[in-house]
Amino acid sequence: MSALLEVEGLKTHFFTRAGVVKAVDGVSFSLAEGEVLGLVGESGSGKTVANFSILGLVDPPGRVVEGSIRFRGEDLVGAPISRMRKLRGRDIAMIFQDPMMTLTPVLRIETQMVETVLAHEKVSAKAARDRAIDVLARVGIPSPAERIRAYPHQFSGGMRQRVAIAIALLHKPALILADEPTTALDVTIQGQIIAEMQKLVAETGAAMIWVSHDLAVVETIADKIAVMYAGRIVEYGRSGDVIGQPAHPYARGLLDSIPSRTTPGQHLNQIPGMAPSVLHLPPGCAFQPRCRFADAACAVPPPIVDTGEDRWARCVRPLAPEAAL
Amino acid sequence: MTPRPPHVALERVSKVFTRKPDFAERIAISLGWPEPPIVRAVDGVSLAVDHGEALGLVGESGCGKSTLGRIVAGVHAKSGGRFEFEGREEADWSTAEAKRARLDIQMIFQDPMSSLNPRKRIADIIGEAPVVHGLVQARDREDAVAALMREVGLDPDYARRFPHQFSGGQRQRIGIARALAVQPKFLVCDEAVAALDVSIQAQVLNLFMDLRERRGLTYLFISHDLGVIEHLTDRVAIMYLGRIVEVGPTREIFAGPAHPYTQALLEEAPRIGRGRRVYAPLKGELPSPLAPPPGCRFHTRCPYVMPVCKIEAPELKQIAAGRIAACHLNDK
Ligand SMILES: Nc1ncnc2c1ncn2[C@@H]1O[C@H](COP(=O)(O)OP(=O)(O)O)[C@@H](O)[C@H]1O
Ligand SMILES: Nc1ncnc2c1ncn2[C@@H]1O[C@H](COP(=O)(O)OP(=O)(O)O)[C@@H](O)[C@H]1O
Ligand SMILES: [Mg+2]
Ligand SMILES: [Mg+2]
Repeated sequence: MSALLEVEGLKTHFFTRAGVVKAVDGVSFSLAEGEVLGLVGESGSGKTVANFSILGLVDPPGRVVEGSIRFRGEDLVGAPISRMRKLRGRDIAMIFQDPMMTLTPVLRIETQMVETVLAHEKVSAKAARDRAIDVLARVGIPSPAERIRAYPHQFSGGMRQRVAIAIALLHKPALILADEPTTALDVTIQGQIIAEMQKLVAETGAAMIWVSHDLAVVETIADKIAVMYAGRIVEYGRSGDVIGQPAHPYARGLLDSIPSRTTPGQHLNQIPGMAPSVLHLPPGCAFQPRCRFADAACAVPPPIVDTGEDRWARCVRPLAPEAAL
Repeated sequence: MTPRPPHVALERVSKVFTRKPDFAERIAISLGWPEPPIVRAVDGVSLAVDHGEALGLVGESGCGKSTLGRIVAGVHAKSGGRFEFEGREEADWSTAEAKRARLDIQMIFQDPMSSLNPRKRIADIIGEAPVVHGLVQARDREDAVAALMREVGLDPDYARRFPHQFSGGQRQRIGIARALAVQPKFLVCDEAVAALDVSIQAQVLNLFMDLRERRGLTYLFISHDLGVIEHLTDRVAIMYLGRIVEVGPTREIFAGPAHPYTQALLEEAPRIGRGRRVYAPLKGELPSPLAPPPGCRFHTRCPYVMPVCKIEAPELKQIAAGRIAACHLNDK
């Protein structure tokens, strides 16, 4: 499998009055065609900024200061705005937590979808409308030929997210960036959306980055998992490996924090303290102040260590598999 | 010896919210049109919570969990039904009893920021109520605040700070300390860890477990997170559109849910360690609480729906020792 997307040494910083916010600070990973990567981490770890960087949507005072983002071999860092506009919506699609980031409240769904099709393709309005209805049906909107006449406010939250997904799929994108698309939804509706997305990526062969703070959601949909902490990926590997035998102490701590993994009623093996401000990162390993395995060796920036087949951790002393769990 | 009555018991409790009519509707009403729709947020709920028990309350948004929790905590007045505190019905309470019930049951909210006065120092947020209610002498206030802060894992040196100077997890601890200050025995926790990051959530869950042990607290723990409910509670009640559909010991319900809605919830909640799997989710939307379906409210989404379900609301019936469910599949 060739890499569809290769991110290398990506650094996206915000130059604020309070100082330099190193929101993304040296992120590298690659994504094969049709592969689903789960990007997990707690709030502020840099997941959204990483996604925005790929889409070229980082606004001042932020900018990509280092690294490359190769999409089908083409470096998107520094690509002209016109080129990024072409790619966005056609080859790379985005789904947000709030579907209203995609939808315009004052326009009928039909108008928005037809315009999206025509923005990138020269087809008749009728053909564009037919395609829109077809995609709405595929994301599970009942009676799409009628519902397409509605305005966004006439839909429930779950239905709106389906419409946003439909818009993302209009041009059969090769890459979908989904940023917490089910976080605001109820369990049964979240289940429906995940099922829909599973089906759609399988059918279309699109690759996807699914951003979430919820490891359990990511596990159901991702081939690979990348765990972010303070702007860096600290562990990367196949879903089953990372969840079954986390090698980075932070990944292990996150898993131990999930109640359903511990015997009910027992104390959770909590991570002490809280995530550092990305304005004042400790030197060396950013997790070191909270890490129960930390020692003097952690005062320097940790290396990337291979911890098995197709997996690595950013840690001087990754946990051995038998030590994990 | 007579058995000790439940800490709190609800019997057929309801809560109805009316929407304020707008201008056009007011004219329409004056001409004899019906009033605007009402929401029956809680519809005939019966539930008892024993002393020292942790009862979970689960269900999707809008099903009435917060409303029920607020009725228990005395934040909302109920529209109908009976509310008993330690065996005494609300209508019969003396002034002293009413005060005791109100202080005994405290509430912890999801968003600590919106429930903490931003202009007050932590020392005042925590220390005011116990002095006002005569639980702490004014001269002992500082020590009491420091002890409470230590108990919830906050550094008493920060007592002079304001809420915005704390992180989300710390603010939730402030909210907990404030609730504990009036020496309650019963905490209603409404999505108390939902807004917190996973690692901070684990710290606060551990605190809730410590407090329960140390203070012998009773909990009504409202959460949409089934992992949290499974971890923390002894029994669980599942709500759907204002009604309770199933109640039983948490362990038993998680091992074998009886109501089709409970089954769907447990099936669909992502749980860690189940691997990649294909979802077969429940079909259909959550109906509007303004116009709940007739009969069994779940019938529009139920995979086992029968003709009777569309007409007749099923009663909660015992299906095993300590377990009840409202489903026509249990008729016969
Ligand atoms: N426009 C901005 N200006 C300054 N800092 C920002 C801006 N956008 C994001 N950040 C900071 O970058 C960090 C990463 O944010 P984000 O990617 O949104 O985190 P996540 O999506 O993982 O919750 C945070 O510390 C956030 O405060
Ligand atoms: N103060 C209120 N006024 C009018 N309607 C309300 C009010 N509070 C709640 N409701 C309605 O009551 C129903 C139940 O709400 P709530 O108890 O908040 O549910 P949950 O906590 O399970 O999400 C919802 O339909 C909600 O819109
Ligand atoms: Mg984000
Ligand atoms: Mg609520």
